[in-house]
Amino acid sequence: MDLTEYIKLVFTDYTLRTITLGTAILGAVTGMLGSFAVLRKQSLLGDAISHAALPGIAIAFLITGAKDSNILLLGALISGLIGTFWIRGIISKTHLKSDTALGLILSLFFGFGMLLLTFIQKQPNANQAGLDKYLFGQAATLVESDVWMMAIVTGLCLFVLLLFWKEFKILLFDADYTKTLGFNTKLIDILITSFIVLAIVLGLQTVGVVLMSAMLLAPAAAARQWTNSLSIMVFLSAIFGAFSGVFGTAISASQNNLSTGPVIVIIAGVFVLVSFIFSPSRGLLFKQIRFLKNRRDLQLHKTLAFMFRIAETHENISHPHAIKILNNFQGFTKRTLQKLVSKNYVKLDGTMWSLTEKGFKIASNLYNQQNNNNE
Amino acid sequence: MSSAQIEIQIIASLVAIACAIPGTFLVLRKMAMISDAISHSILPGIVVGFFITQDLNSPLLILLAALTGIITVVLVEYIQKTGLVKEDTAIGLVFPILFSIGVIMIAKNANDVHLDVDAVLLGELAFAPFDRLIVSGIDMGPKSLWIIGSILIITIGLLFAFFKELKISTFDAGLAASLGFSPSVIHYGLMSVSSITTVGAFDAVGAILVVALMIAPAATAYLLTNNLKRMLIYSISFGVFSAISGYWLAHGLDASIAGSITTMLGVLFLAVYLFAPSKGVIAVMYREKQQRTEVSLLTFLLHLKNHTEESERHVNHLNEHINWQKVRSKTVLDLALKNNMIQLDKNIVSLTEKGDHFTSQAIDYIITNEDGKIEHMKDDFFLFRG
Repeated sequence: MDLTEYIKLVFTDYTLRTITLGTAILGAVTGMLGSFAVLRKQSLLGDAISHAALPGIAIAFLITGAKDSNILLLGALISGLIGTFWIRGIISKTHLKSDTALGLILSLFFGFGMLLLTFIQKQPNANQAGLDKYLFGQAATLVESDVWMMAIVTGLCLFVLLLFWKEFKILLFDADYTKTLGFNTKLIDILITSFIVLAIVLGLQTVGVVLMSAMLLAPAAAARQWTNSLSIMVFLSAIFGAFSGVFGTAISASQNNLSTGPVIVIIAGVFVLVSFIFSPSRGLLFKQIRFLKNRRDLQLHKTLAFMFRIAETHENISHPHAIKILNNFQGFTKRTLQKLVSKNYVKLDGTMWSLTEKGFKIASNLYNQQNNNNE
Repeated sequence: MSSAQIEIQIIASLVAIACAIPGTFLVLRKMAMISDAISHSILPGIVVGFFITQDLNSPLLILLAALTGIITVVLVEYIQKTGLVKEDTAIGLVFPILFSIGVIMIAKNANDVHLDVDAVLLGELAFAPFDRLIVSGIDMGPKSLWIIGSILIITIGLLFAFFKELKISTFDAGLAASLGFSPSVIHYGLMSVSSITTVGAFDAVGAILVVALMIAPAATAYLLTNNLKRMLIYSISFGVFSAISGYWLAHGLDASIAGSITTMLGVLFLAVYLFAPSKGVIAVMYREKQQRTEVSLLTFLLHLKNHTEESERHVNHLNEHINWQKVRSKTVLDLALKNNMIQLDKNIVSLTEKGDHFTSQAIDYIITNEDGKIEHMKDDFFLFRG
């Protein structure tokens, strides 16, 4: 299947269109809210919440007996919220640390959910098949109403985000200051946490419990590398998330036997990898290049300083010396010498070098500058 | 009880013990989430191992999968060291991606692989007794029993051999390094044991239950004691108790054994979380309430000591002066009266000898912050118990 054919298919085929739209919206909303989770150092909260949502799904099914995804998601939302606030309770009321609290709630809720799911499976009621799609997610089961639901929630998120933008922002970076300004930090905190839970619950049906945390984190972690501004980060993160959704759906649709969730996560992972390496200011590649450049500069200075010491002892600063004597000094390479020549600090004449007027001046100021910098 | 039932309970208990030991150290070292990451990211290792050996119980597969676990830890540490993201984000990024790779590898080879993501993640203890180890025609018992048994023996051996190294590097890594134990060797040793335990146990109980069995008993025990040896013993007993009671819960409900064991762990944790003698929520809330009252009492007594004029010491004046509500002032007043710290004379409050003495001591303590002066007050007052 070539690309144009696929794009045509996205617009004509109902299933493909629904899934593509669904995953794109989901990626955008999780990316948006994920930025806050990452910056608040709550990255693993997503993982814990998505696992904690499982018993809610099972209990909602046990109570209503219906497989209406909205009711199941409501159950997931409630149990996700209970899990979140229990985590808070453990951290604030006992001496257990946040990682223990997260791991505890995650595994205990999930185990309880599994108990309920297997219990449901043994029930005579034959309507239960498909509950386990929430474990690993099946984007293929998305229908138009689900996408509408996602769109509405995303719209709501966007609205609240814009409405409380400055409160969210200030809470994120300076919680104490927020409190002294008279904002109700607890309320803002609960609001933002609830939206994170909501976004996670929405994604359960598509990518499943296990992979949900990556949907939340990966776009935000990628976006963080490109900017230091919150608004740009949220925007970029939403875009990365949406593109992971679209590309992931496309790849999994064009291959047999590829479930959408894992592919989306891997695409998001590729975004992260590329951002980690190629981001201009924080990326590993440019950091390494800067590192090498600094080291070369330092070596250049060392060579120049060494030459300066030799030239100093002579009355005529441009008195030629043999290149050989530089060999005792480790900072010297042919390349640095060439560079010094090209900068017009040094003149080469056969196997002899001599410092120019300019070079002498620069070299004598080398230490002064360094001294100035140190101060 | 049939022999299969007994075997399941033995396997579950052994898994619980094998998990509780590394789990205790993970919880103490604030690395509990690493076990969650390992339990997910071993999936690609299991898949590759399975392609090679075609046997879920082969030692090679366990080693390969454990290696993936260690790779996860190294990756997380590498990403964290670059400073691009925080540690928790690094964990949250690495394991879903590795897990996804595993899922896709399974999906692409679904036709010729008898391996199921559900099975890896959730496990099925009920089938464990049917996969038996046959050595030259003689039935030696279930394979998973042998696997988890040997892992347990290795774990216990390492625990006894390196107990003091583990202890010291857990509580004071700097001291451990200065004494010549390499913290990183112990760190990676612990990670390796955790990975191997996770892999060895996943077949029987599933990856998620491994996490629960590692973290929950240790966390529960940590609420009850501050002594490492006792914490180890408590968490092992909690693990075994939940394993056996969970099995019977599953038996009764006809549901997943792994899920039931986790549920039992949850019930146990909830009970301890609420009712633990000094660190449980109820105890903490009671203590906080007492401390609040005692602070009020102290404020009240200080107020009395500072004012000699009668108008300031009239009962009705007090609640408007110190800004307390009626009920609160009454509680404090009653408490002070009961302790003979004040006397009432026509609604005028004044300090007794004892109250005066107590207040001066309290002021002394607040100013100098010396513990010795209030030793004898600790028995009566929560406030001074640190």
